Amino acid sequence: MKPLRDAELGASTFFASPLPHDVCGSNGLPLTPNSIKILGRFQILKTITHPRLCQYVDITRGKHERLVIVAEHYEKSLKDLLKQGKPVSPEMVLHVAYEVLEGLEFMNEHGMVHRALSPNNVLLDREGKVKLAKFGLYHMTDHGADVDFPIGYPSYLPPEVIAQGCLYSSDPSIIEAPLASGPKTDVWSLGVLLFELCVGRQILQNIDISERMKFIITLGCMDDIITVLAEEHGCLDTVKELPENVQALLRKCLTFLPSKRATPAELLGDSVFESMSCQYTPHQCPVRLFAAAPRCARLELPEDISQLCKDDGENYLVERGIDEVYHLWCLAGGDLEKELTNQEIIQSKPPACTLPKFILEDGESFGQGRDRSFLLDDTTVTLSLYQLKNRLKDVAGETFYPLLEDEQSSLPQSNSSNELSATITLPLIIRERDTEYQLTRIVLFDRLLKAYPYKKNQVWREARVDIPPLLRGLAWAALLGVEGDIQSKYDGIDKDTPIPTDRQIEVDIPRCHQYDELLSSPQGHVKFRRVLKAWVVSHPDLVYWQGLDSLCAPFLYLNFNNEALAYACMSAFIPKYLYNFFLKDNSHVIQEYLTVFSQMIAFHDPELGNHLNEIGFIPDLYAIPWFLTMFTHVFPLHKIFHLWDTLLLGNSSFPFCIGVAILQQLRDRLLANGFNECILLFSDLPEIDIERCVRESINLFCWSPKSATYRQHAQPNKTASDNNSFGKTPSFYSSEYEDLTKTDLSREPLKLSELKAEVSPRISVEDLIDLCELSGPACFKTPAKRARTGKPKILAVDIRSLEDFSRGHIPGSINIPYTSTFGPEGELLQCPATSALAGHRLRVIVILSNIMKNATTFAAHLVKVNFPRVCVLDGGMNKMKSTGLLTVPSPQI
Amino acid sequence: MQAKMRKNKGKTNTIEKEFVFEFKAGNHHCVLKVPLQFPLKENVSDLHGRIMLLHKIPCFVENDLKNRLVSFIKREMLADYDREAEAALQRLTTGEVDVNKLTNIWAKAYSETTLEHARPEEPSWDEDFASVYHELIHSPASETLLNLEHNYFVSVSELISERDMELKKLQERQAVEMNKVMQELGKSLCDQDVNTVAAQHFDAQQVLENKWASELKHVTGIQKHEYQEWVMKLHRDLQNPNNSTINEEIKVQPGQLGEAGEAGARLFEEQRQLEESFTIHLGAQLKTMHNLRLLRSDVLDFCKHRRHSSSGVKLRRLQTALSLYSTSLCGLVLLVDNRVNSYSGIKRDFATVSKECTDFHFPRVDEQLDIIQQVVLYARAQRSSKQREQPEMTRNGGSEDKNKIIDRNSSNILPGEFYISRHSNLSEVHIVFHLCVDDNVRSGNITARDPAIMGLRNILKVCCTHDVTTITIPLLLVHDMSEEMTIPWCLKRAELVFKCVKGFMMEMASWDGGISRTVQFLVPQSISDEMFYQLSNMLPQIFRVSSTLTLTSKR
Repeated sequence: MKPLRDAELGASTFFASPLPHDVCGSNGLPLTPNSIKILGRFQILKTITHPRLCQYVDITRGKHERLVIVAEHYEKSLKDLLKQGKPVSPEMVLHVAYEVLEGLEFMNEHGMVHRALSPNNVLLDREGKVKLAKFGLYHMTDHGADVDFPIGYPSYLPPEVIAQGCLYSSDPSIIEAPLASGPKTDVWSLGVLLFELCVGRQILQNIDISERMKFIITLGCMDDIITVLAEEHGCLDTVKELPENVQALLRKCLTFLPSKRATPAELLGDSVFESMSCQYTPHQCPVRLFAAAPRCARLELPEDISQLCKDDGENYLVERGIDEVYHLWCLAGGDLEKELTNQEIIQSKPPACTLPKFILEDGESFGQGRDRSFLLDDTTVTLSLYQLKNRLKDVAGETFYPLLEDEQSSLPQSNSSNELSATITLPLIIRERDTEYQLTRIVLFDRLLKAYPYKKNQVWREARVDIPPLLRGLAWAALLGVEGDIQSKYDGIDKDTPIPTDRQIEVDIPRCHQYDELLSSPQGHVKFRRVLKAWVVSHPDLVYWQGLDSLCAPFLYLNFNNEALAYACMSAFIPKYLYNFFLKDNSHVIQEYLTVFSQMIAFHDPELGNHLNEIGFIPDLYAIPWFLTMFTHVFPLHKIFHLWDTLLLGNSSFPFCIGVAILQQLRDRLLANGFNECILLFSDLPEIDIERCVRESINLFCWSPKSATYRQHAQPNKTASDNNSFGKTPSFYSSEYEDLTKTDLSREPLKLSELKAEVSPRISVEDLIDLCELSGPACFKTPAKRARTGKPKILAVDIRSLEDFSRGHIPGSINIPYTSTFGPEGELLQCPATSALAGHRLRVIVILSNIMKNATTFAAHLVKVNFPRVCVLDGGMNKMKSTGLLTVPSPQI
Repeated sequence: MQAKMRKNKGKTNTIEKEFVFEFKAGNHHCVLKVPLQFPLKENVSDLHGRIMLLHKIPCFVENDLKNRLVSFIKREMLADYDREAEAALQRLTTGEVDVNKLTNIWAKAYSETTLEHARPEEPSWDEDFASVYHELIHSPASETLLNLEHNYFVSVSELISERDMELKKLQERQAVEMNKVMQELGKSLCDQDVNTVAAQHFDAQQVLENKWASELKHVTGIQKHEYQEWVMKLHRDLQNPNNSTINEEIKVQPGQLGEAGEAGARLFEEQRQLEESFTIHLGAQLKTMHNLRLLRSDVLDFCKHRRHSSSGVKLRRLQTALSLYSTSLCGLVLLVDNRVNSYSGIKRDFATVSKECTDFHFPRVDEQLDIIQQVVLYARAQRSSKQREQPEMTRNGGSEDKNKIIDRNSSNILPGEFYISRHSNLSEVHIVFHLCVDDNVRSGNITARDPAIMGLRNILKVCCTHDVTTITIPLLLVHDMSEEMTIPWCLKRAELVFKCVKGFMMEMASWDGGISRTVQFLVPQSISDEMFYQLSNMLPQIFRVSSTLTLTSKR
């Protein structure tokens, strides 16, 4: 979004019309409130950026269908010019006309019309340039259908709009609703406006509305509308003295018949503007991130570079985007409703005074006076940035322009950096509400993302700290490695032709995250449908499974105005975390996944795992929606965001850890309950503390050996060309086990039935070597370096007989012969070896044997007596022998 | 009517137009014809992508096609707009649409919906008083206000006890007299005489009652007037503190009624009152928290003031006063019969309670009921005129015999309908929803479609639109227990109401965006302790109770 510069933020409010009581939609679901419809339609306005239009920033819903709109605002408007009571110079009139037309033309290009032009909606910035305000009202209210008040101002309405009638009427005789207005309506309104500027006064003000409209209608019988208007207001002389081209312009605008009237685009090219059109350069749309066109294509450096760094004073904040400033304003304690209440725009009566007296069975109420506070007051209130500026006055200039070259320091070195590094340790929720911190993060991410994909590694590193909510959509796209011409790829997918999945999609969308205003709006539904269809159509080998809708929701929410990006993110996400989950027959994938999950439960929390197995509460009963939707089906959006901020940094085995962390949060209740209670508990998952869940799943992840979550149906090794040119995947945690080059020391696939029979996960020889830090012959490729602290401690337990053990074993391993450890009941026998085992309870225990079956049985026994973190070496000692890493204890040589 | 108009909007007739695109590929001259439906609903880029894909258009004409398509659509749309607009103008010139009517509708639309064109607001005493009071009660003056209110309350209570005393005396005297008469019956007096005496007694009672009623009305009228005057004066004085006249605090008049007896009664009362609270979460993904409470108590306990001025009572009173004009009101559902009056049963008891203390803000109960009766008649008239206009809409099921009942007596209300009264003088309640129920609720088999349940839903809806954040609902839909209400009956009824209220509360989240509320379920006092505990066990099975925070757990 464009920088704030000398603009202000303005807020205005209106009410959407309430729905008739108790009416259902055609699908049997309750109707969408009009305010939500408006909210959905509003979103696109945020992308309409033009120097002649006031940038829309935000919309919020208040109580009782109130909407508050935030947009760029200027205090000065044409109304102020008119108030001076003297005619405006003809040159000025022409400039205003041209600039308004520029704005109108740009809107028309985007399929919108203003319909509410009036002197107080044509604002003037500090340089006296025109900025059109409230230009989106007609669009967002579905041409006025969702509000009670008519859109537009009586004196400026063109005759055809008046003739088409207004929606608001209790008269049943006018059934036919008028068609939406076209671009030419604004030209008439502009004509009236220009006329007023020329004569220096507002016209038609002293007669009542119905007379005014009748007058406008009767203008159709007049030959010369300008003269009639001038005579009516006694300013014929002034009009006659106007330069020829201004008169011509007025005539062109105030043409009665729409078919004879010019469109804004035609007028812009008209000869009246010949002399001045050269002063205006046509507007170039800035290129968005993730667009195919080179972003620097139109970059022109001035001859003298130092011009770029000329000192504009200390006010760096105004150079930030309007949306950023507004976001920070909110964080600094801004409250829209309060601002509007202070200016008495919102006047609410106590509800005790407005109650109805009598209500019929169908909900219709009687005896309630019309509440005046629901009337439209379209005044725009300037939001004071004083508090925000005050809050940020100590923030150093470096914060606004961080240097990215330094790979070491992520935060600028300034006075406030100490404070900021202290902030990093605070809980995420608090960081997200901290004005200075968010400013720093937003600026940093903004710069990094602008340098994407060059700065991809740094985006990863910063994302590990946290992701600023304002830029989450783009940051996620960067983390998912979205690249290429996504827009034209998306456009090229046929999203209209009916496909058999349509019905299911149609049923699922109105049930997906509908508590959210954006996703429950009709616009949201349309976009949902398009993105989902695009995905289904473009992945012919995969099918739509219920749950895909939930998976789509976070991407759509974050990229509401950029479907292509939402689609691209989803298409990148699914193969990474849900490879082949959406196959038509996905049972083998899911079964393997769930089996690995239950092994992970047994690995991390044997007590819980044993209990769940005993009562038969297996993952198949509850965990399929968790994994199939990556938890989007069970959590509300704000929790998904925090969960996925971390999930996107991890590899495809991270979800297992999240699953275990969720179970552990409900541990006490699960342990205390039987099968039925557990089913009930999970049918409607209780509140989960998501920050704790994230923290614990990272911890669990660090304790899990990489190969423990090996799945044969995971995404196979990506080809080298897939890995983009900007270096390797940047971190150990994010690299996939399956991505590593396969050697004969890696894990080997097991049959599903065999896998299911094993309680504990297997780990590969490679992993063992890495974890034991055995220095092998140079031929091994150890996995990418990882921090030493992140490495789990390990205890290798050799369960072969003593003889085998003494013939050669892994250094540091202890020998507990298989036969002598467990009693007949499966209890642990007391002996020195087992007490050593008990002494290392917190380590990862790897069972080594030359007979796999013995190892797995041994592991199962250990799990039974609640030993955590037990795993088995895949391939056993036989595989280990080939490495030549076995040693013979020295005394016996 | 508006809804109907809007429905038609989607059906504006579409026109098919053909887009023709010619291009050369090598030596071939290709012509592409695409029929398009106007007004066009799809996105142009999508349409373009689809045409490219479907007709396998070579990529070298891609941009050309796009430009031509865009300009074609733009041109045709403009032509449509012009045609529609001129057709509308044409309708005016031919007189098909009346100019006066049209402009009047416009004028009406502006004057009824926009502040700029609306008639200036006539000052309303109610709202001025409301804002003044709300300001004062949130200032240090609140103490004084409450003391004043209490003093007025005490004097009314004295009046009432005097009345009760006099009535009692009269009744005693009459009883003695009647006894004498009865002894003489068959001797010197006949049945006729007894009847005459009885009639005389009745008349005497009526006269006395009326006398007291008018006396009370007079006193409360004066009190209300004085009070309102005083509040306005206080407000003025506080605004310019120089010439303040009321600075001395108003001291609390100690109630003269025996406190000991009251305290005993209260102890007894609190023993009988059982209550249990729950915190619940509603919603599948996004959860909202609400408070539920199950209470065993008399419905009028929420209305009655305790007569002695103990601090707890004062606090409660302050709480009610503070929130009177706020956005967190307290409501109560009272089950009434189909007549809007206060002559019998619970309606009479309620009216009596509400007269125990002057209402300084809202009209007296009987005045409110009179107004409501007018509104009911108006609503009926509206309804029947509407039904005459659109007879096809009423042609579903039982509505016809319902209409017959209405025709018989249009001043009565039907089951599921309710009227609302407002009170500032009740102890814990501001708003009373008088929900009409019939004898059906006493029988066992009502369903979720029962008018009484639908009435509850509408009540909750009004709670949403008018910020009633605490609502008390009779769980069994009765105020008193009777023979036929067995344990299974109670359980079944409680389950139904719990489940329906749960559904309505989930629905409410979509009406108001999920505001936390308190819902109190009330059961009659005559219910047994075991029954109460059975119900309190049932509640957490139906609502999801939030997990308790166990501090001892290691995680």
